Amino acid sequence: MLDRTESIDVDESSAPISAPVYVYEVPVRLWHWTTAAVFFVLCVTGFLIGDPVWPQFIGQPYDHFLMGEIRLVHFVSGYILALAMLVRIYWAFVGNRYSREIFFPKLWSPAWRQQFVKTIRWYFLIESESGREIGHNSLAQITMFMMFVVGVIFEIITGFALYGEASGYGSWSYTLFSRWVVPLFGTGQEVHTWHRLGMWYLVIFMIVHVYMVIREDIMSRQTMLSTMINGWRYFKDRGQ
Amino acid sequence: MAAEIQTFYDVMRAQGTSRRSFLKFCSLTAAALGLEPIYASKIAHAMETKPRIPVLWMHGLECTCCSESFIRSGHPLAKDVILKMISLDYDDTLMAAAGAQAEAILDEIPKRYKGEYILAVEGNPPLNEDGMYCIVGGKPFVEKLRAVAADAKAVIAWGACASWGCVQAARPNPTQATPIDKVITDKPVIKVPGCPPIAEVMTGVISYMITFDRLPELDGRGRPLMFYGQRIHDKCYRRPHFDAGEFVESWDDLGAREGYCLYKMGCRGPTTYNACSTIRWNGGVSFPIQAGHGCIGCSEDNFWDNGPFYHRLSHVGAGFGVEATADEIGGLAASAVAAGVVAHAGLSAAKHLRKNRHDDHPSPNRKTDDGERS
Amino acid sequence: MTTITTPNGFTIDNSGKRMVVDPITRIEGHLRCEVNLDQNNVIRNAVSSGTMWRGLEVILKGRDPRDAWAFCERICGVCTGIHALASVRAVEDALGIKIPENANSIRNLMEATQWAQDHLVHFYHLHALDWVDVVSSLKADPKATSDLAQSISPWPNSSPGYFRDVQSKLKKFVDSGQLGPFMNGYWGNPAYLLPPEANLMAVSHYLEALDFQREIVKIHTVFGGKNPHPNWLVGGMACAINVDGPLAAGAPVNMVQLNLVSSIIDRTIAFIDQVYIPDLMAIASVYKTWTYGRGLAGQNVMSYGDFPLHANEFSEQNLLIPRGAIVDGKLDAVFDVDLRDPSQVQEFVDHSWYRYPDEAAGLHPWAGITDPNFVLGPATVGTKTDIKQLDEDAKYSFIKAPRWQGHAMEVGPLSRFTIGYAKGIADFKEPVDKMLTDLGLPIDALFTTLGRTAARGLEASWAAHKMRLFFDQLMSNLRAGDLATASTEKWEPATWPKEAKGIGHVEAPRGSLGHWIHIKDQKIEAYQAVVPTTWNGSPRDPSGNIGAFEAALLHTPLAEATQPLEILRTLHSFDPCLACATHVLAQDGGELVRIQVR
Repeated sequence: MLDRTESIDVDESSAPISAPVYVYEVPVRLWHWTTAAVFFVLCVTGFLIGDPVWPQFIGQPYDHFLMGEIRLVHFVSGYILALAMLVRIYWAFVGNRYSREIFFPKLWSPAWRQQFVKTIRWYFLIESESGREIGHNSLAQITMFMMFVVGVIFEIITGFALYGEASGYGSWSYTLFSRWVVPLFGTGQEVHTWHRLGMWYLVIFMIVHVYMVIREDIMSRQTMLSTMINGWRYFKDRGQ
Repeated sequence: MAAEIQTFYDVMRAQGTSRRSFLKFCSLTAAALGLEPIYASKIAHAMETKPRIPVLWMHGLECTCCSESFIRSGHPLAKDVILKMISLDYDDTLMAAAGAQAEAILDEIPKRYKGEYILAVEGNPPLNEDGMYCIVGGKPFVEKLRAVAADAKAVIAWGACASWGCVQAARPNPTQATPIDKVITDKPVIKVPGCPPIAEVMTGVISYMITFDRLPELDGRGRPLMFYGQRIHDKCYRRPHFDAGEFVESWDDLGAREGYCLYKMGCRGPTTYNACSTIRWNGGVSFPIQAGHGCIGCSEDNFWDNGPFYHRLSHVGAGFGVEATADEIGGLAASAVAAGVVAHAGLSAAKHLRKNRHDDHPSPNRKTDDGERS
Repeated sequence: MTTITTPNGFTIDNSGKRMVVDPITRIEGHLRCEVNLDQNNVIRNAVSSGTMWRGLEVILKGRDPRDAWAFCERICGVCTGIHALASVRAVEDALGIKIPENANSIRNLMEATQWAQDHLVHFYHLHALDWVDVVSSLKADPKATSDLAQSISPWPNSSPGYFRDVQSKLKKFVDSGQLGPFMNGYWGNPAYLLPPEANLMAVSHYLEALDFQREIVKIHTVFGGKNPHPNWLVGGMACAINVDGPLAAGAPVNMVQLNLVSSIIDRTIAFIDQVYIPDLMAIASVYKTWTYGRGLAGQNVMSYGDFPLHANEFSEQNLLIPRGAIVDGKLDAVFDVDLRDPSQVQEFVDHSWYRYPDEAAGLHPWAGITDPNFVLGPATVGTKTDIKQLDEDAKYSFIKAPRWQGHAMEVGPLSRFTIGYAKGIADFKEPVDKMLTDLGLPIDALFTTLGRTAARGLEASWAAHKMRLFFDQLMSNLRAGDLATASTEKWEPATWPKEAKGIGHVEAPRGSLGHWIHIKDQKIEAYQAVVPTTWNGSPRDPSGNIGAFEAALLHTPLAEATQPLEILRTLHSFDPCLACATHVLAQDGGELVRIQVR
């Protein structure tokens, strides 16, 4: 269960931390890269479903099944995204302390807020040195929650609502999602619009996420990219 | 008066219909409703034992397209519905009486047939200006609507106006036109949306209710599942072209002439629940997609504000000032963020390089940095 | 006030007993009528009030001009498609879009279809019960009815057995005690003049016409996908034509659909010429002594002209329905009508529930304002939400008062025929002369309630025959190898000018209809429509001119003081459409929510 007494992973002391920490366990890393891959696929196929940009091709429909294939890939990827997310939520309960950061930003903690301000200053190039964080910093946590977690869950819900419309009345996704989601937005057309806006929301997240990872990998005091590959966070500090 | 009321069968017999023709009528009705042959006898029984149900058909803010559609019904013919199935005691558009004589009917029928009549509503009440954007008999329509609804057995909302609000409720809805289920809250309201609904769907709903003496099964939003359970897209004859990815790209192009999918011309078939692609229009002659124009989604809530009709992607808040699709908004925002990222990366790189230089060769500038930190 | 004479020459006296008829039924929308009756039950003052407002064009502001037709089409579902046509024409005029010939033929065909069907439904289902006593038909002799029917028409459903069957069904229906739409009708009123046999024939045809009208509109279904409310397109029509290509069966318009259209045209011509026109003549021959309801007919009448024979040309020479205005009954001087001229068409609101900065002045539609202002005059009887009697000296209708060069005008089939007649065009002059000769009536008899009804019938026949012309035109074009139905050159908004204004005019079944559009930055900046019932049903204007409805009701005697049969008869002769008349637009949508009641 969630350990509510855990402290913020921030080291404001000047004591050197030289020992690497095991942050991202295997399921988290697997989930991350699976999600990254299907996210890419979902964006491309989703974009094409809403706006099939290819030029007109001519002939009997028997000869082609392009739209059908794109939709199939989109739906399969959607299932993977949703299942991976379910596993990931499960892991937030049973995994290590870092596995729940993105779900439960500790807004109430003074240390968390202090770090939030410091991180913003760092990104505004006011601070000359980054914080030392084992997991996510405060700003990253809230961003991951607001943009990624909320965004993905929104896309999963609206996506299955649309899928339910295609599957038809009585299908599991219609019963579980379409039935309440569609009236909430008004009509299927509006769900489409919001699902697409949600995609762009996640694309923006993705741009910022990738940039920040690379930037922080270079500029901060800890490793980023490799951590999501091998799970270990290394610190570059010489230790003062 | 009540003693004189006859059953459907009495009326049909009296009108010269033979027993044999009557039974044939029942089996055709059963077939039209997609029911098994055994139901024909049930229908026959129902029609032999029931008087014609009084229907009061009221008009609010509307364009009368629903009434016009109703009289287009081919099976059953509107004539037969009016003369043999129901007793259309009030309908502004068709009734002989006017003024006081018409008003008297609205007073009398609900008393005489308390709890036994059907209220059918075409159009909707405006609530602004104390309801006086629609005046009937000197009073707000909404007042009459509530009064007549009070003792009705069931309420039918004809068309998009009564069901959702339709065109007068599109932004900015100056009259505050309101769907009837927001005004009549204590009665089952059967929504038969469409602008207008298909004629045979209208008469189909009525014949079902009369024949089986029960409401049709409704979806979560009050629409009969028998006609609104599936999207137009799901049974569209152009669906194979959609799956193939063969689209009409511009009006009157080769694809348009060969019946390719109208998805890229803005067709709303994939998000519209209606029976146009199955029952079709005006006796099965055609339906909008077959006639080359995309569906505009006229049986869906709020379809006017989900335009423009010729874009697959709706404008977010059409008619609201924000005239852009999700892609335009999202693409712009993503570009802005990407530009911000590039700028930030540049600044960061500059700082990083300078910091590295400082680390290697401490300079007076370092003090400034320290000053900022403290 | 007791007696005044209006500038347009009518004497109004508002003493006497006030009779209120609300709702006026068998029309489109909501209309109220109040009349003052003298001791002989003669109408001395008439007040007609449009009692609904939807604010449709406000809703159009800021939308894509290519979508406007669909919104406008929903102004009216009875004359369905007519507003859509006016709208696409307005947008095409503003943007300089030229449509292909085929699209022009198809649009004309759809419009003529609409005329034929709408006039037929109006005559039998909205208007006939003003002339025909349903209950009296029970007394008819089926054999005599058959003789009557066969003497005036070759229509095959005319045997004694046929009429006996209809009569016996009707009898049992009446005996059932559930009279449905015939409940509380004015049966037995002395103003019904037809013999029982003519009544029975008309009732039979009421039912036949109800069956047949749904066939006519299938032409809309072929080209527009559905009816009511078929689909239209800026730049042409969306119904691509494929007669002999490999996938023609799945095309919108193929040989099968064209054959259906052709067959419907034949049947429509037959029904109108063999049922509608003979019935009309039978009714007219009996009612020709009932000469009321003149009003503005033959005095101030107008037509915008319509049915361009060839595409994109709205000059007088190319229009099959002529354009023009006649003022003060001078049939020898037909003025031209220019909808762009700010001094010609103007709308006034001093008796309408709207507000202008200066209500003494009228505004041209391109400068129109609609700011609702629901206020009742001091002489109103009742309360705001329970009006017993309107005060016609104040604001009293949701209909504006449009004027042409300051004149109240009548529009509609009779006006079109009057102008065609005055111009000596054979299409209009010949059938009118023939009808008048057959009935033994002078030309002046045309300018009555009955004349309006008769002109509508003649026009239905004109339209049915023109359907054949437009279809033949389409087919000869197809034979020549031209399949084009839409022009897409200026489809993309990027090709449009930054700002543009346009007009679209149509002769709707009920009369002259104009749409005025202002496009700016690819969006609708302002939209205004002035429709037939706005002309005919207009309230009074600042100079005191009364509109066509009110004028036509004056001096009509009622046979029964409590039964408004004659009022309905005259109002129905105009075929009122209130949803059309009271849709109106504001230049600034924001203004609309400021509503004050005093």
